[in-house]
Amino acid sequence: MDIEIINPFIASVTDVLPQLGFESINLIEQKEKTKKIAASGIVLTLGIVGDKKGNVAYAIDTEGAKQIASIMMMGMPVDELDDMAKSAISELSNMLTANAAINFSNDNITVDISPPTMLTGENIELSMSRDQVTCVEFDIDGIKLEINVALD
Amino acid sequence: MENIRVMIVDDSTFSIAVLKRMLQKDGLEIVGTALNMKEAIQKAQELKPDLITMDMTLPDGDGIECSKEILKHLHDTKIIAISAMMDKEIIQRSRKAGIRGYLQKPVDQIDLDSAIERLFEGEELYGVLKNNFEEAFKESIFSFLKREIGGEVAVEKIADHAMTTNSSGISVAIGIIGRHDGRLIMDMSEATALGMTKKILQDDTQQIDDAINFLSEFTNVIGGNACSLLNGLNRSFGLRVSPPTVFRGKDITISIGDIMSESFIIKTDLGNVFMNVGFQKGDVEWI
Repeated sequence: MDIEIINPFIASVTDVLPQLGFESINLIEQKEKTKKIAASGIVLTLGIVGDKKGNVAYAIDTEGAKQIASIMMMGMPVDELDDMAKSAISELSNMLTANAAINFSNDNITVDISPPTMLTGENIELSMSRDQVTCVEFDIDGIKLEINVALD
Repeated sequence: MENIRVMIVDDSTFSIAVLKRMLQKDGLEIVGTALNMKEAIQKAQELKPDLITMDMTLPDGDGIECSKEILKHLHDTKIIAISAMMDKEIIQRSRKAGIRGYLQKPVDQIDLDSAIERLFEGEELYGVLKNNFEEAFKESIFSFLKREIGGEVAVEKIADHAMTTNSSGISVAIGIIGRHDGRLIMDMSEATALGMTKKILQDDTQQIDDAINFLSEFTNVIGGNACSLLNGLNRSFGLRVSPPTVFRGKDITISIGDIMSESFIIKTDLGNVFMNVGFQKGDVEWI
Protein backbone atom coordinates (compact mmCIF):
# COMPACT_ATOMS: atom_id res chain seq x y z
CA MET A 1 0.00 0.00 0.00
CA ASP A 2 1.46 3.29 -1.08
CA ILE A 3 0.62 5.50 1.89
CA GLU A 4 2.24 8.58 0.38
CA ILE A 5 -0.15 8.38 -2.56
CA ILE A 6 -3.40 7.51 -0.85
CA ASN A 7 -3.21 9.58 2.33
CA PRO A 8 -3.77 12.95 0.64
CA PHE A 9 -7.04 11.55 -0.79
CA ILE A 10 -8.15 10.10 2.54
CA ALA A 11 -7.44 13.43 4.26
CA SER A 12 -9.33 15.21 1.53
CA VAL A 13 -12.48 13.12 2.06
CA THR A 14 -12.40 13.57 5.83
CA ASP A 15 -11.80 17.34 5.48
CA VAL A 16 -14.15 18.24 2.65
CA LEU A 17 -17.24 16.11 3.22
CA PRO A 18 -18.13 17.41 6.71
CA GLN A 19 -18.03 20.93 5.25
CA LEU A 20 -20.66 19.87 2.74
CA GLY A 21 -23.00 18.60 5.42
CA PHE A 22 -22.07 14.92 5.69
CA GLU A 23 -21.92 13.57 9.22
CA SER A 24 -20.41 10.14 9.51
CA ILE A 25 -17.37 9.39 7.39
CA ASN A 26 -15.80 5.98 7.83
CA LEU A 27 -12.92 4.42 6.00
CA ILE A 28 -14.10 0.86 5.33
CA GLU A 29 -11.38 -0.70 3.30
CA GLN A 30 -8.02 0.01 1.78
CA LYS A 31 -6.62 -2.33 -0.84
CA GLU A 32 -4.44 -2.73 -3.88
CA LYS A 33 -6.13 -3.62 -7.13
CA THR A 34 -4.82 -4.58 -10.50
CA LYS A 35 -5.24 -2.35 -13.49
CA LYS A 36 -8.81 -3.37 -14.33
CA ILE A 37 -11.59 -2.18 -12.06
CA ALA A 38 -15.31 -2.89 -12.25
CA ALA A 39 -17.81 -0.17 -11.37
CA SER A 40 -21.51 0.53 -11.72
CA GLY A 41 -23.34 3.81 -11.36
CA ILE A 42 -21.26 6.95 -11.78
CA VAL A 43 -17.54 7.04 -12.46
CA LEU A 44 -15.57 10.27 -12.48
CA THR A 45 -11.99 10.43 -13.57
CA LEU A 46 -9.52 13.28 -13.32
CA GLY A 47 -6.02 13.48 -14.74
CA ILE A 48 -3.07 14.44 -12.59
CA VAL A 49 0.29 15.78 -13.78
CA GLY A 50 3.30 17.27 -12.02
CA ASP A 51 5.72 15.61 -9.62
CA LYS A 52 3.38 12.63 -9.81
CA LYS A 53 1.49 11.60 -12.90
CA GLY A 54 -1.59 9.46 -13.33
CA ASN A 55 -5.27 9.58 -12.63
CA VAL A 56 -7.92 9.14 -10.01
CA ALA A 57 -11.34 7.56 -10.52
CA TYR A 58 -14.26 8.01 -8.11
CA ALA A 59 -17.06 5.44 -8.22
CA ILE A 60 -20.47 5.87 -6.60
CA ASP A 61 -23.61 3.84 -7.28
CA THR A 62 -26.60 5.70 -8.71
CA GLU A 63 -28.63 5.76 -5.49
CA GLY A 64 -25.64 7.01 -3.53
CA ALA A 65 -24.95 9.68 -6.14
CA LYS A 66 -28.53 10.93 -5.84
CA GLN A 67 -28.21 11.17 -2.07
CA ILE A 68 -24.90 12.99 -2.31
CA ALA A 69 -26.30 15.43 -4.88
CA SER A 70 -29.31 16.05 -2.65
CA ILE A 71 -27.15 16.87 0.39
CA MET A 72 -24.89 19.07 -1.73
CA MET A 73 -27.94 20.93 -3.03
CA MET A 74 -29.08 21.82 0.51
CA GLY A 75 -31.43 18.88 0.85
CA MET A 76 -33.29 19.38 -2.40
CA PRO A 77 -34.92 16.07 -3.34
CA VAL A 78 -33.10 14.34 -6.21
CA ASP A 79 -35.24 11.68 -7.90
CA GLU A 80 -33.11 11.25 -10.95
CA LEU A 81 -29.58 12.15 -11.90
CA ASP A 82 -30.37 15.17 -14.02
CA ASP A 83 -27.79 17.70 -15.24
CA MET A 84 -27.94 19.64 -11.99
CA ALA A 85 -27.33 16.54 -9.86
CA LYS A 86 -24.53 15.39 -12.17
CA SER A 87 -22.95 18.79 -11.95
CA ALA A 88 -23.00 18.57 -8.15
CA ILE A 89 -21.25 15.18 -8.22
CA SER A 90 -18.78 16.45 -10.78
CA GLU A 91 -18.02 19.42 -8.53
CA LEU A 92 -17.51 17.06 -5.59
CA SER A 93 -14.87 15.09 -7.51
CA ASN A 94 -13.19 18.35 -8.41
CA MET A 95 -13.18 19.56 -4.79
CA LEU A 96 -11.86 16.25 -3.46
CA THR A 97 -9.05 16.08 -6.00
CA ALA A 98 -8.11 19.75 -5.66
CA ASN A 99 -7.96 19.28 -1.91
CA ALA A 100 -5.82 16.17 -2.31
CA ALA A 101 -3.50 18.26 -4.53
CA ILE A 102 -3.15 20.78 -1.70
CA ASN A 103 -2.38 17.92 0.70
CA PHE A 104 0.29 16.68 -1.70
CA SER A 105 1.83 20.15 -1.78
CA ASN A 106 2.17 20.01 2.02
CA ASP A 107 4.43 17.00 1.41
CA ASN A 108 6.35 19.09 -1.17
CA ILE A 109 4.79 17.20 -4.07
CA THR A 110 3.38 19.58 -6.66
CA VAL A 111 0.56 18.28 -8.86
CA ASP A 112 -2.05 19.88 -11.10
CA ILE A 113 -5.41 18.35 -11.93
CA SER A 114 -7.65 18.31 -15.00
CA PRO A 115 -11.43 18.82 -15.15
CA PRO A 116 -13.40 15.64 -14.40
CA THR A 117 -14.83 13.30 -17.03
CA MET A 118 -18.10 11.67 -15.95
CA LEU A 119 -19.48 8.37 -17.17
CA THR A 120 -22.58 6.52 -16.13
CA GLY A 121 -23.55 2.92 -16.75
CA GLU A 122 -23.66 -0.59 -15.38
CA ASN A 123 -20.69 -2.96 -15.31
CA ILE A 124 -18.14 -0.45 -16.48
CA GLU A 125 -14.68 -1.92 -16.84
CA LEU A 126 -12.06 0.66 -16.02
CA SER A 127 -8.40 0.49 -17.00
CA MET A 128 -6.27 2.97 -15.13
CA SER A 129 -2.86 4.19 -16.30
CA ARG A 130 -0.88 1.95 -13.99
CA ASP A 131 -0.99 -1.78 -13.20
CA GLN A 132 -1.10 -1.18 -9.48
CA VAL A 133 -4.11 0.84 -8.33
CA THR A 134 -4.59 1.90 -4.74
CA CYS A 135 -8.22 1.82 -3.71
CA VAL A 136 -10.02 3.16 -0.65
CA GLU A 137 -13.65 2.65 0.17
CA PHE A 138 -15.61 5.01 2.39
CA ASP A 139 -18.99 4.75 4.02
CA ILE A 140 -20.41 8.27 4.09
CA ASP A 141 -23.73 8.45 5.89
CA GLY A 142 -24.48 5.00 4.46
CA ILE A 143 -23.29 5.88 0.95
CA LYS A 144 -20.43 3.91 -0.56
CA LEU A 145 -17.70 6.00 -2.18
CA GLU A 146 -14.77 4.29 -3.83
CA ILE A 147 -11.59 6.12 -4.78
CA ASN A 148 -9.09 4.49 -7.11
CA VAL A 149 -5.72 6.15 -7.43
CA ALA A 150 -3.09 5.30 -10.05
CA LEU A 151 -0.09 7.58 -9.63
CA ASP A 152 3.55 7.21 -10.59
CA MET B 1 -3.19 45.92 -23.14
CA GLU B 2 -5.66 47.81 -25.23
CA ASN B 3 -9.37 48.15 -24.64
CA ILE B 4 -9.04 47.70 -20.88
CA ARG B 5 -11.36 50.17 -19.13
CA VAL B 6 -10.09 51.31 -15.75
CA MET B 7 -11.51 53.15 -12.79
CA ILE B 8 -9.21 54.61 -10.13
CA VAL B 9 -10.37 54.79 -6.51
CA ASP B 10 -8.17 56.90 -4.25
CA ASP B 11 -8.80 59.57 -1.64
CA SER B 12 -5.85 61.60 -2.88
CA THR B 13 -6.21 63.61 -6.06
CA PHE B 14 -2.42 63.52 -6.35
CA SER B 15 -2.37 59.72 -6.33
CA ILE B 16 -5.15 59.66 -8.89
CA ALA B 17 -3.13 61.91 -11.17
CA VAL B 18 -0.03 59.72 -10.84
CA LEU B 19 -1.92 56.47 -11.48
CA LYS B 20 -3.81 58.02 -14.36
CA ARG B 21 -0.57 58.94 -16.10
CA MET B 22 0.92 55.49 -15.57
CA LEU B 23 -2.16 53.66 -16.78
CA GLN B 24 -2.55 55.90 -19.81
CA LYS B 25 1.07 55.19 -20.71
CA ASP B 26 0.03 51.52 -20.97
CA GLY B 27 -2.75 52.45 -23.35
CA LEU B 28 -5.52 51.75 -20.85
CA GLU B 29 -8.66 53.83 -20.96
CA ILE B 30 -9.48 55.67 -17.72
CA VAL B 31 -13.27 55.67 -17.59
CA GLY B 32 -13.70 57.16 -14.13
CA THR B 33 -12.19 58.13 -10.80
CA ALA B 34 -13.66 58.14 -7.30
CA LEU B 35 -12.46 59.80 -4.10
CA ASN B 36 -14.53 57.82 -1.62
CA MET B 37 -16.38 54.53 -1.12
CA LYS B 38 -19.86 55.81 -1.87
CA GLU B 39 -18.77 57.38 -5.14
CA ALA B 40 -16.74 54.28 -6.04
CA ILE B 41 -19.66 51.88 -5.59
CA GLN B 42 -22.03 54.07 -7.54
CA LYS B 43 -19.62 54.78 -10.42
CA ALA B 44 -18.50 51.14 -10.64
CA GLN B 45 -22.09 50.05 -11.24
CA GLU B 46 -22.60 52.71 -13.90
CA LEU B 47 -19.29 52.29 -15.71
CA LYS B 48 -18.69 48.53 -15.29
CA PRO B 49 -14.91 48.90 -15.68
CA ASP B 50 -12.66 45.91 -16.51
CA LEU B 51 -10.18 46.96 -13.85
CA ILE B 52 -10.34 49.00 -10.66
CA THR B 53 -7.32 50.23 -8.74
CA MET B 54 -8.37 50.45 -5.11
CA ASP B 55 -6.84 52.49 -2.32
CA MET B 56 -7.15 50.84 1.09
CA THR B 57 -7.94 53.95 3.13
CA LEU B 58 -11.01 55.87 2.08
CA PRO B 59 -12.72 58.63 4.06
CA ASP B 60 -16.01 56.73 4.42
CA GLY B 61 -14.78 53.12 4.65
CA ASP B 62 -11.92 50.90 3.62
CA GLY B 63 -10.85 49.47 0.30
CA ILE B 64 -11.75 45.90 1.29
CA GLU B 65 -15.30 46.77 2.25
CA CYS B 66 -15.63 48.86 -0.90
CA SER B 67 -14.28 46.04 -3.13
CA LYS B 68 -16.63 43.48 -1.57
CA GLU B 69 -19.59 45.75 -2.30
CA ILE B 70 -18.49 46.36 -5.90
CA LEU B 71 -17.80 42.67 -6.61
CA LYS B 72 -21.26 41.72 -5.38
CA HIS B 73 -22.66 43.28 -8.53
CA LEU B 74 -19.75 43.12 -10.96
CA HIS B 75 -18.42 39.58 -11.29
CA ASP B 76 -16.12 40.28 -14.22
CA THR B 77 -14.40 43.34 -12.83
CA LYS B 78 -10.88 42.81 -11.52
CA ILE B 79 -9.64 44.83 -8.59
CA ILE B 80 -6.01 45.52 -7.69
CA ALA B 81 -5.30 47.11 -4.33
CA ILE B 82 -2.82 49.97 -4.46
CA SER B 83 -2.01 51.33 -1.05
CA ALA B 84 0.78 52.72 1.05
CA MET B 85 -0.17 50.26 3.73
CA MET B 86 0.84 46.66 3.16
CA ASP B 87 1.17 43.81 5.65
CA LYS B 88 0.39 40.11 5.72
CA GLU B 89 -2.99 40.51 7.35
CA ILE B 90 -4.34 43.12 4.96
CA ILE B 91 -3.10 41.09 1.98
CA GLN B 92 -4.93 38.05 3.28
CA ARG B 93 -8.11 40.00 3.90
CA SER B 94 -7.89 41.53 0.42
CA ARG B 95 -7.50 38.16 -1.18
CA LYS B 96 -10.48 36.83 0.70
CA ALA B 97 -12.55 39.78 -0.46
CA GLY B 98 -11.87 38.91 -4.09
CA ILE B 99 -9.17 41.50 -4.74
CA ARG B 100 -6.75 40.06 -7.28
CA GLY B 101 -3.44 41.66 -6.40
CA TYR B 102 -1.74 44.07 -4.06
CA LEU B 103 0.78 46.78 -4.93
CA GLN B 104 2.41 49.13 -2.50
CA LYS B 105 2.66 52.88 -3.04
CA PRO B 106 4.69 54.45 -4.47
CA VAL B 107 3.92 52.14 -7.38
CA ASP B 108 6.59 51.35 -9.88
CA GLN B 109 5.51 51.51 -13.52
CA ILE B 110 7.05 48.11 -14.28
CA ASP B 111 5.29 46.41 -11.35
CA LEU B 112 1.98 47.92 -12.37
CA ASP B 113 2.44 46.87 -15.99
CA SER B 114 3.31 43.29 -15.14
CA ALA B 115 0.43 42.99 -12.67
CA ILE B 116 -2.09 44.15 -15.26
CA GLU B 117 -0.53 42.01 -17.95
CA ARG B 118 -0.76 38.88 -15.81
CA LEU B 119 -4.30 39.65 -14.81
CA PHE B 120 -5.52 40.09 -18.36
CA GLU B 121 -3.34 37.75 -20.43
CA GLY B 122 -5.59 34.86 -19.42
CA GLU B 123 -8.51 36.38 -21.30
CA GLU B 124 -6.51 36.83 -24.48
CA LEU B 125 -4.93 33.41 -24.20
CA TYR B 126 -8.30 31.78 -23.77
CA GLY B 127 -9.45 33.53 -26.95
CA VAL B 128 -6.44 32.16 -28.85
CA LEU B 129 -7.11 28.68 -27.47
CA LYS B 130 -10.80 28.85 -28.37
CA ASN B 131 -9.96 29.84 -31.92
CA ASN B 132 -7.33 27.18 -32.45
CA PHE B 133 -8.01 24.02 -30.46
CA GLU B 134 -10.47 22.52 -32.95
CA GLU B 135 -8.02 22.71 -35.83
CA ALA B 136 -5.18 21.35 -33.70
CA PHE B 137 -7.13 18.25 -32.64
CA LYS B 138 -8.64 17.71 -36.08
CA GLU B 139 -5.22 17.95 -37.67
CA SER B 140 -3.73 15.64 -35.06
CA ILE B 141 -6.30 12.86 -35.44
CA PHE B 142 -6.51 13.17 -39.21
CA SER B 143 -2.78 12.82 -39.76
CA PHE B 144 -2.51 9.93 -37.32
CA LEU B 145 -5.31 7.92 -38.93
CA LYS B 146 -4.23 8.77 -42.45
CA ARG B 147 -0.68 7.65 -41.70
CA GLU B 148 -1.44 4.58 -39.58
CA ILE B 149 -4.72 3.27 -41.00
CA GLY B 150 -4.81 4.85 -44.44
CA GLY B 151 -7.81 4.75 -46.77
CA GLU B 152 -10.57 7.31 -46.49
CA VAL B 153 -10.44 9.51 -43.39
CA ALA B 154 -13.02 12.26 -42.94
CA VAL B 155 -13.30 14.46 -39.86
CA GLU B 156 -16.79 15.90 -39.42
CA LYS B 157 -17.79 18.32 -36.73
CA ILE B 158 -21.06 17.63 -34.89
CA ALA B 159 -22.85 20.98 -34.98
CA ASP B 160 -24.80 20.88 -31.73
CA HIS B 161 -23.86 18.04 -29.48
CA ALA B 162 -26.09 17.04 -26.60
CA MET B 163 -25.08 17.12 -22.92
CA THR B 164 -24.30 13.41 -23.04
CA THR B 165 -23.28 10.84 -25.61
CA ASN B 166 -23.53 7.06 -25.61
CA SER B 167 -20.35 5.07 -25.80
CA SER B 168 -19.92 2.71 -28.73
CA GLY B 169 -17.97 0.30 -26.55
CA ILE B 170 -14.62 1.69 -25.48
CA SER B 171 -14.01 5.22 -24.23
CA VAL B 172 -10.76 6.87 -23.28
CA ALA B 173 -10.45 10.07 -21.27
CA ILE B 174 -7.32 12.10 -20.79
CA GLY B 175 -7.00 15.29 -18.82
CA ILE B 176 -5.29 18.34 -20.27
CA ILE B 177 -3.60 20.58 -17.77
CA GLY B 178 -2.11 24.02 -18.32
CA ARG B 179 -2.93 27.72 -18.18
CA HIS B 180 -6.43 26.64 -19.20
CA ASP B 181 -7.41 23.06 -18.41
CA GLY B 182 -9.36 20.68 -20.57
CA ARG B 183 -10.10 17.13 -21.51
CA LEU B 184 -10.11 14.82 -24.48
CA ILE B 185 -12.51 11.91 -24.89
CA MET B 186 -12.17 9.32 -27.62
CA ASP B 187 -14.76 6.64 -28.24
CA MET B 188 -15.15 3.77 -30.67
CA SER B 189 -16.60 0.28 -30.90
CA GLU B 190 -14.59 -2.76 -29.85
CA ALA B 191 -14.64 -3.93 -33.46
CA THR B 192 -13.17 -0.66 -34.72
CA ALA B 193 -10.51 -0.59 -32.02
CA LEU B 194 -9.61 -4.22 -32.71
CA GLY B 195 -9.59 -3.62 -36.47
CA MET B 196 -7.26 -0.64 -36.10
CA THR B 197 -4.94 -2.54 -33.77
CA LYS B 198 -4.70 -5.47 -36.18
CA LYS B 199 -4.06 -3.15 -39.10
CA ILE B 200 -1.37 -1.09 -37.36
CA LEU B 201 0.44 -4.11 -35.92
CA GLN B 202 -0.20 -6.22 -39.03
CA ASP B 203 -1.23 -9.03 -36.72
CA ASP B 204 -4.60 -10.77 -36.84
CA THR B 205 -4.21 -12.46 -33.47
CA GLN B 206 -4.66 -9.21 -31.50
CA GLN B 207 -7.17 -9.44 -28.63
CA ILE B 208 -9.41 -6.90 -26.95
CA ASP B 209 -6.80 -6.12 -24.27
CA ASP B 210 -4.36 -5.20 -27.02
CA ALA B 211 -7.06 -2.99 -28.51
CA ILE B 212 -7.51 -1.25 -25.15
CA ASN B 213 -3.79 -0.60 -25.01
CA PHE B 214 -3.86 0.70 -28.57
CA LEU B 215 -6.76 3.05 -27.90
CA SER B 216 -5.11 4.33 -24.79
CA GLU B 217 -1.88 5.09 -26.67
CA PHE B 218 -3.83 6.46 -29.65
CA THR B 219 -5.61 9.00 -27.42
CA ASN B 220 -2.34 9.89 -25.74
CA VAL B 221 -0.67 10.59 -29.11
CA ILE B 222 -3.59 12.63 -30.49
CA GLY B 223 -3.79 14.67 -27.29
CA GLY B 224 -0.04 15.10 -26.98
CA ASN B 225 0.43 16.16 -30.61
CA ALA B 226 -2.48 18.60 -30.54
CA CYS B 227 -1.27 20.15 -27.28
CA SER B 228 2.24 20.54 -28.74
CA LEU B 229 0.72 22.36 -31.72
CA LEU B 230 -1.15 24.68 -29.36
CA ASN B 231 1.88 25.24 -27.12
CA GLY B 232 3.73 26.21 -30.30
CA LEU B 233 1.23 29.02 -30.84
CA ASN B 234 1.82 30.40 -27.38
CA ARG B 235 4.15 28.92 -24.82
CA SER B 236 2.12 30.37 -21.97
CA PHE B 237 -0.51 27.66 -22.58
CA GLY B 238 1.88 25.13 -21.01
CA LEU B 239 -0.51 22.29 -21.92
CA ARG B 240 0.35 18.80 -20.70
CA VAL B 241 -1.70 15.62 -20.96
CA SER B 242 -2.39 13.23 -18.11
CA PRO B 243 -2.27 9.46 -18.63
CA PRO B 244 -5.43 7.92 -20.11
CA THR B 245 -8.23 6.10 -18.31
CA VAL B 246 -10.05 3.55 -20.45
CA PHE B 247 -13.71 2.60 -19.95
CA ARG B 248 -15.32 -0.42 -21.49
CA GLY B 249 -18.94 -1.46 -21.25
CA LYS B 250 -22.17 -2.12 -23.07
CA ASP B 251 -24.26 0.79 -21.94
CA ILE B 252 -22.08 3.71 -20.92
CA THR B 253 -23.15 7.33 -21.10
CA ILE B 254 -20.48 10.02 -21.20
CA SER B 255 -21.18 13.56 -19.99
CA ILE B 256 -19.69 16.11 -22.35
CA GLY B 257 -21.81 19.19 -21.78
CA ASP B 258 -20.19 20.43 -18.60
CA ILE B 259 -17.39 22.39 -20.24
CA MET B 260 -17.06 24.30 -23.51
CA SER B 261 -16.29 21.49 -25.93
CA GLU B 262 -16.62 20.36 -29.54
CA SER B 263 -17.43 16.91 -30.84
CA PHE B 264 -16.32 15.24 -34.03
CA ILE B 265 -17.06 12.04 -35.92
CA ILE B 266 -14.06 10.67 -37.76
CA LYS B 267 -15.08 8.28 -40.51
CA THR B 268 -12.56 5.63 -41.46
CA ASP B 269 -12.69 2.42 -43.46
CA LEU B 270 -12.55 0.49 -40.18
CA GLY B 271 -15.44 2.31 -38.52
CA ASN B 272 -16.22 5.61 -36.88
CA VAL B 273 -14.33 7.33 -34.09
CA PHE B 274 -15.99 9.86 -31.80
CA MET B 275 -13.83 12.64 -30.42
CA ASN B 276 -14.82 15.30 -27.90
CA VAL B 277 -12.39 17.95 -26.74
CA GLY B 278 -12.97 20.95 -24.55
CA PHE B 279 -11.35 23.52 -22.34
CA GLN B 280 -12.43 25.59 -19.40
CA LYS B 281 -11.21 29.05 -18.61
CA GLY B 282 -8.67 29.06 -15.85
CA ASP B 283 -8.15 32.17 -13.83
CA VAL B 284 -5.11 33.54 -12.05
CA GLU B 285 -6.51 34.06 -8.60
CA TRP B 286 -3.73 36.16 -7.21
CA ILE B 287 -1.03 37.99 -9.08
